[in-house]
Amino acid sequence: MPHYLEGSRNSCALHGALQLFEAIEGVVPVIHSTAGCGVQYYLGGTRMSGGNDPFGSPPVSSSNIGQKHVVFGGGSRLREQLKNTVKVVQGDLYAIVTGCSTEMVGDDIPAMAREGRDQDWPVIYANTPGFSGDVHHGYHLAVKALIEQLPDIWKKPEEFPSGLVNIWGIIPNQDPFWRGNLQELGRLLEGIGLVPNLLLGSEQSVASWQQIPGAVLNLVLSPWGELPARLLEERYATSSIILDGLPIGTATSTLLRRLTAQLKLDPIRTEAFITREESRLNLQFARLADIYFHAGFQREFVLVGESAQVLGIAEFLGTSFGLLPRTLIITDNPLDSVRERLVTRLTAFVPGYDTEVVFSEDRAEISDIIRTSDAQLVLGSSLEREVSVELGVPFLALSFPLADRIVLERSYAGYRGATTLLEDIGTAILAFSRDFHLC
Amino acid sequence: MSLLRQKAPRSREKRLDTLGAWLGTVSVASKEFAGDEIPQRIRTFAQSSNDDLLYALRILAGIRDSVTIIHGPRGCAAAGLHHIASRRNNTHWIVTNLDERDTIMGADGKLRKSVVALYRRYHPSVVFIVGNPVIAINNDDIQSVVEELHEELELPIVPVYVTGFSSQNAVSGYDTALHSLLKYLAGESSIIDKNESLNLLSVAEHPQDRKEAQHLLEKLGITLNVIPDDSTIDLFRLAVAARASIPLCPDAPEYLGAILQQTYGVPLIDVSRPVGVEGTGRWLKSIAAFLGKEDVAEELHKGKVAETTLQLGNFSLKGVKVYISLSSANAFSVLDLVEELGGEVAGLTITHLDRLYIRHLNELAERNPSLQIHVSDGQAFEEISILRKLSPDLYLGDSTHLGQVARLGIPVVSLESLALVGYSGVVRVARRIKTALANNSYGDSLAKVNSPYQDAWFRRSHNWHIKQEVK
Repeated sequence: MPHYLEGSRNSCALHGALQLFEAIEGVVPVIHSTAGCGVQYYLGGTRMSGGNDPFGSPPVSSSNIGQKHVVFGGGSRLREQLKNTVKVVQGDLYAIVTGCSTEMVGDDIPAMAREGRDQDWPVIYANTPGFSGDVHHGYHLAVKALIEQLPDIWKKPEEFPSGLVNIWGIIPNQDPFWRGNLQELGRLLEGIGLVPNLLLGSEQSVASWQQIPGAVLNLVLSPWGELPARLLEERYATSSIILDGLPIGTATSTLLRRLTAQLKLDPIRTEAFITREESRLNLQFARLADIYFHAGFQREFVLVGESAQVLGIAEFLGTSFGLLPRTLIITDNPLDSVRERLVTRLTAFVPGYDTEVVFSEDRAEISDIIRTSDAQLVLGSSLEREVSVELGVPFLALSFPLADRIVLERSYAGYRGATTLLEDIGTAILAFSRDFHLC
Repeated sequence: MSLLRQKAPRSREKRLDTLGAWLGTVSVASKEFAGDEIPQRIRTFAQSSNDDLLYALRILAGIRDSVTIIHGPRGCAAAGLHHIASRRNNTHWIVTNLDERDTIMGADGKLRKSVVALYRRYHPSVVFIVGNPVIAINNDDIQSVVEELHEELELPIVPVYVTGFSSQNAVSGYDTALHSLLKYLAGESSIIDKNESLNLLSVAEHPQDRKEAQHLLEKLGITLNVIPDDSTIDLFRLAVAARASIPLCPDAPEYLGAILQQTYGVPLIDVSRPVGVEGTGRWLKSIAAFLGKEDVAEELHKGKVAETTLQLGNFSLKGVKVYISLSSANAFSVLDLVEELGGEVAGLTITHLDRLYIRHLNELAERNPSLQIHVSDGQAFEEISILRKLSPDLYLGDSTHLGQVARLGIPVVSLESLALVGYSGVVRVARRIKTALANNSYGDSLAKVNSPYQDAWFRRSHNWHIKQEVK
């Protein structure tokens, strides 16, 4: 029985599915629920991800069921809404998503989607009531709906690009840097001769999702990407590389070498690419050295975020930048089996140093942990700003929700993302000490 | 206490014939509201819009030293992040995080545990328990938890029975929250001595708007008791024994003012919204008339007019066609403001229309009978279609779809976080408008992004999908 939550940063399954569908160009989510579900998503999701508002409004189609539909059923309302959505809103694919109310009433959603397809409308559906789970579950439900239902609408393409790699596990907005991170990963894969299938973000449309069966590999970058990879292994026998976190800095080189070995790519090309990228990153480190020491960058930090982000960032800061991961707080509720291996990895970055790992999504509990951590730098979401001010330590907002930062295409992944992360952490420390001296 | 005996008030539709979907001219609206029967309208295509839960949360977010428990699944508390980010005060936002099993078995045990744990952690002065679709459909027993724990913890626990679906007008959520606040926090008026203060009814207002109104009224020598925005729970007990109530808006606090008057005998001073130089003057003078302080108000107004005129300089909206899209009372008051500044109003979108606005409709029908009124909350597609046809020079709005409107290339001023009230509000709005009209290059950039709608939609009438409800 789950406990109550204060200031929760993981909204419901419906909102998770909306995040996924809105991240694919040309997909129009059709919400079958009460009127407020889409506005809750907008206020608590879109607005907390400054710079990620695809429509310039809450989701553009919602059946807004009323008392009558709760009593007598909302199927006919959905039929009408779907018919008119196709008339009013441009789209390549219409995705019905449901809320708690219509699921409790028991509307037959698959039948409605089938009716739509009989009219030759491209329609899929996902049953996504909020009570069924959190945003991550919603991501799973939406991805599963696309993988399973798209082949019923469009025939499999005849040809696929060779060396195609699907990327899974980066969740829009839950990773505020998702767009930039995917782009950087795409650049890295291209650098060693592969063709990335990013699936989400700019220029990623239904066509990208039709390419999925033709991939030579699924690259999984968070525990949440394991399910799609497994589904595709069952359907198309595609193999996978599974990482629990984002590759940042030299961890990227490890990944590129692994890809090269597994897919039998040209190792000379890969090594040349790695050398170029690493030398560039090393020069960034060098240019920063004077300020690093005189401003006292080396410190113990607290990091709050989703598994993939915490793992990637803590690894980079701990193994290449001399910082000490005091307390790592993981907010995305990974499965128990995943937790064990995460703790093993997360506590091993700095040999001989004691790193505390906590799993929590309760704002009050997280603030209490930070308060007693004795850390000298807080990296977290906007919800942690208050406690960092209270402690009088520098703070950088880098995980969801971001109430006071704009992120368009910034990345904290790969080599370039590592550079950006150095810029942002350094700026946060310098701005803080300056304010501190001015007081 | 008759009206307060109910769990929740009747919906706005039932009480005031409130419409949430309508399109036509002012003169037709005025005629329709002159009749006894006003048929409800429904949409056969709709977009997300506010509901009573979201509006109730706006009020609860403003009560100091409170814990708000949304007794539902996670998503029903998503907007809490928005309120936390606005950092208004020390409110705590909790969701009981109901899962599938809870929707079958009920979850009052979970609610009880949450209340006790949060009481021990924060010792708040009040706990709110907020309903939502899941609780309403399941008919979960919140009431017995409220009663038992109220006794056990000696703590005011206030259930707010919003449902997300029983009213098609979000504004009903204000009524539901205000109903519960009075019912549980005000107590019996007979045991409280009358006091000399006046209630300022400020419901989900911008803090600066509230302060501006307070500031002006204090110049009339009034002691104010401000509820519910930023108030402590003790102020509700004082409110029922106050000398009179002054609404800061004729709509949002309407139910609060009416109950204070009918149930507790606190007179409600009938005033419109203090927006615009003349509008603010009228507001002040009506209140002064009630207090017999006309000359103080007259003097204050004169001084402020001179000051504001000076600050406005040569600013004028002459020749500028303005489209207004706001919550209803704001829209009508901004309409007066735009005309006062010399502008022409091209059309109005308001969140709802009901019997509270009959006077406005009749006045406007005399002055500008062909002005188009569009009633909609959150229906961006309707507005976009209307705006394409009217092509105004400026858009004043506070909706969540300004990003879509701006893609039409029209200069936009957001009034969501801009304080409008009082003389200083005029200067502030004028400055923002001046800035927006001076450089629309961002609008030009945005106009290069395609609209999400089909061309076929723009060729149809703006309201083909709005039908009369079949009972």
